[in-house]
Amino acid sequence: MYYISSENFSKFLVSLKKDYEVFVPVKKGQQRFYQKFTAAGADYLVGEVRAFEPLKSFFFRARERVASGFSQKIPQRLERPFAIVGVKACDLKGFKIQDYVFSNHDYQDPFYLKLREANLVISADCTSVIESCFCTALGLKPYPQMNFDLNLSSVDEGYLVEIGSSKGKRIVEKYTLFFRQPREDLMSTRNRRREKIFREVEVQVKSNGLSNQESFKGVVEKGFESEIWSEEAEACVECGACNTICPTCHCFLLYDQQNDAQMERLRIWDSCMIKDFARVAGGANPREKLWMRLRNRFEKKFDFFPKVAAEFACTGCGRCISACPAKIDIRKVLKKLVDNAKSR
Amino acid sequence: MQKVDNPYRSIEAKVLEAITETPTIKTIRFRPAEPFGFKTGQFIEVTVPGVGEAPFTPSSRPSLREEMEVTVMKVGKVTARIHELKKGDTIGVRGPFGAGYPIDEFKGKEIAVVGGGCGLAPLRSLMYEFFSRSGEFKKLSFRGGCKNPQELLYRNEIDGWAKRDDLNLRLTVDKGDPTWKGNVGVVTTILDDLDMDYPRAIAVVCGPPIAMKFSTKKLLELGFKEKNIYLSMEKNMSCGIGKCGHCRLGTYYACKDGPVFTYDKIKNFPSIWD
Repeated sequence: MYYISSENFSKFLVSLKKDYEVFVPVKKGQQRFYQKFTAAGADYLVGEVRAFEPLKSFFFRARERVASGFSQKIPQRLERPFAIVGVKACDLKGFKIQDYVFSNHDYQDPFYLKLREANLVISADCTSVIESCFCTALGLKPYPQMNFDLNLSSVDEGYLVEIGSSKGKRIVEKYTLFFRQPREDLMSTRNRRREKIFREVEVQVKSNGLSNQESFKGVVEKGFESEIWSEEAEACVECGACNTICPTCHCFLLYDQQNDAQMERLRIWDSCMIKDFARVAGGANPREKLWMRLRNRFEKKFDFFPKVAAEFACTGCGRCISACPAKIDIRKVLKKLVDNAKSR
Repeated sequence: MQKVDNPYRSIEAKVLEAITETPTIKTIRFRPAEPFGFKTGQFIEVTVPGVGEAPFTPSSRPSLREEMEVTVMKVGKVTARIHELKKGDTIGVRGPFGAGYPIDEFKGKEIAVVGGGCGLAPLRSLMYEFFSRSGEFKKLSFRGGCKNPQELLYRNEIDGWAKRDDLNLRLTVDKGDPTWKGNVGVVTTILDDLDMDYPRAIAVVCGPPIAMKFSTKKLLELGFKEKNIYLSMEKNMSCGIGKCGHCRLGTYYACKDGPVFTYDKIKNFPSIWD
């Protein structure tokens, strides 16, 4: 464990710019957005809660050129790796699903793997809670426990720094001048703060009628034929915002286009809420109705992934709750499913 | 399974021949610039450069590496462009993907192959494989059906199959014409005389979903075991490597775990025939 003062942290970010494009959360209105850290003195915030956009956009990007013509060469982008600062625990859980999809199986995705290897993740404890937060219902804590290179816990005038990977260790060694041995009492400050935020999320989870992820086991299967899906889908406008904003959603479309010289294949985020997602050219569509697609979304997150990867593909980040123009609330759907499963 | 550096890259291929099979179906014979083999039942993604990709199970001999064939029904954007291909045109191919048929497990068994419409395409590749290992199986039956005699694929070739000693073959059409001497009716009407030890026999079914649904029902009635009925599931397979999410079927992806599944594996999933 190390300590870095706020002042040194700013200097550290400036130094990181030599090797990385540094992204920091910046508050605009009530939201936080990742923005390029341009120079010393630039505005940023480390704590509070998750950014508006999901971390996945730095790894599994919204639009990636995955093939040029028939060339064996893997298309490369001319850019430096990213250092993403202020990442929260909910987004780090997204890695569990994205890693499973893109690095497991017989075939690996070279684009995702390369970014995963090159990018630096400097996470941070949550220091506040917003209305949509429910990470503890998915077994998370509102502070990072895995999948980070360095983690920052805000303490008096600076941060406690935890090393989470060999990459993180190398960074601390390289910029060793900025880091100090922490005062002993800072650990208890950190733990006290963590516990406070954890309790605040727990209160919110309970007030939404949820308990823990054990209660989600089997609820989609038990509620498969229930009316819940058509009730919930009634207001859905099929925009796909819940998919694009989700840190675990990984589906994509391969899109071919032709320029003057050659064809290009693009890998673009796709949405399972869109009608044609599973349709085949012959016309058959296994999920013709909107409620079937809503059910499919929950099936994928709370039935498929627990079965194939032993993880619920939900991080409790609440982004889909904030993003939905129809105000479909994943917590309410889950509560209905849990109640339905109990009543059977 | 082979590992490639970039699983999204297509291999360049030259069209050698475009054969009109029926008014709606063509077979494209092509030569990949980098030859690759496949197991019968595995599929490949074929692209018309810049237009998009579509999945097909090759209809050619798995042992032929230099040349391959796909038999394509014109149903959508990509297949319409495939139908415009001429000798010398360039296409792209990617694969092979999926599991294919476990032919070694069929050794010593009675096998019923049931196909409908364009479903005869993957089955032709399978039949080539069976013929090349003819002595290894106890009995081989083929039951094929389609809408009308004009829509029957590989007609000359199948006429040759009818003369084989190692194959029991029957064909049917939904609607006959004056030239048609065979059965008239859906494919389930020619399954009663398979005359096999059903609980131990293997059935391989490929065709339009409705034909597969009713064939499966009929085969189960005859006494075939769920785990012995091999079905080709038509899903929207795109990436081919279990990542893009389009072809999920319950806890499987058709592209990497299928597209051939035994009925017991998928029977409890919703909408398998849709």
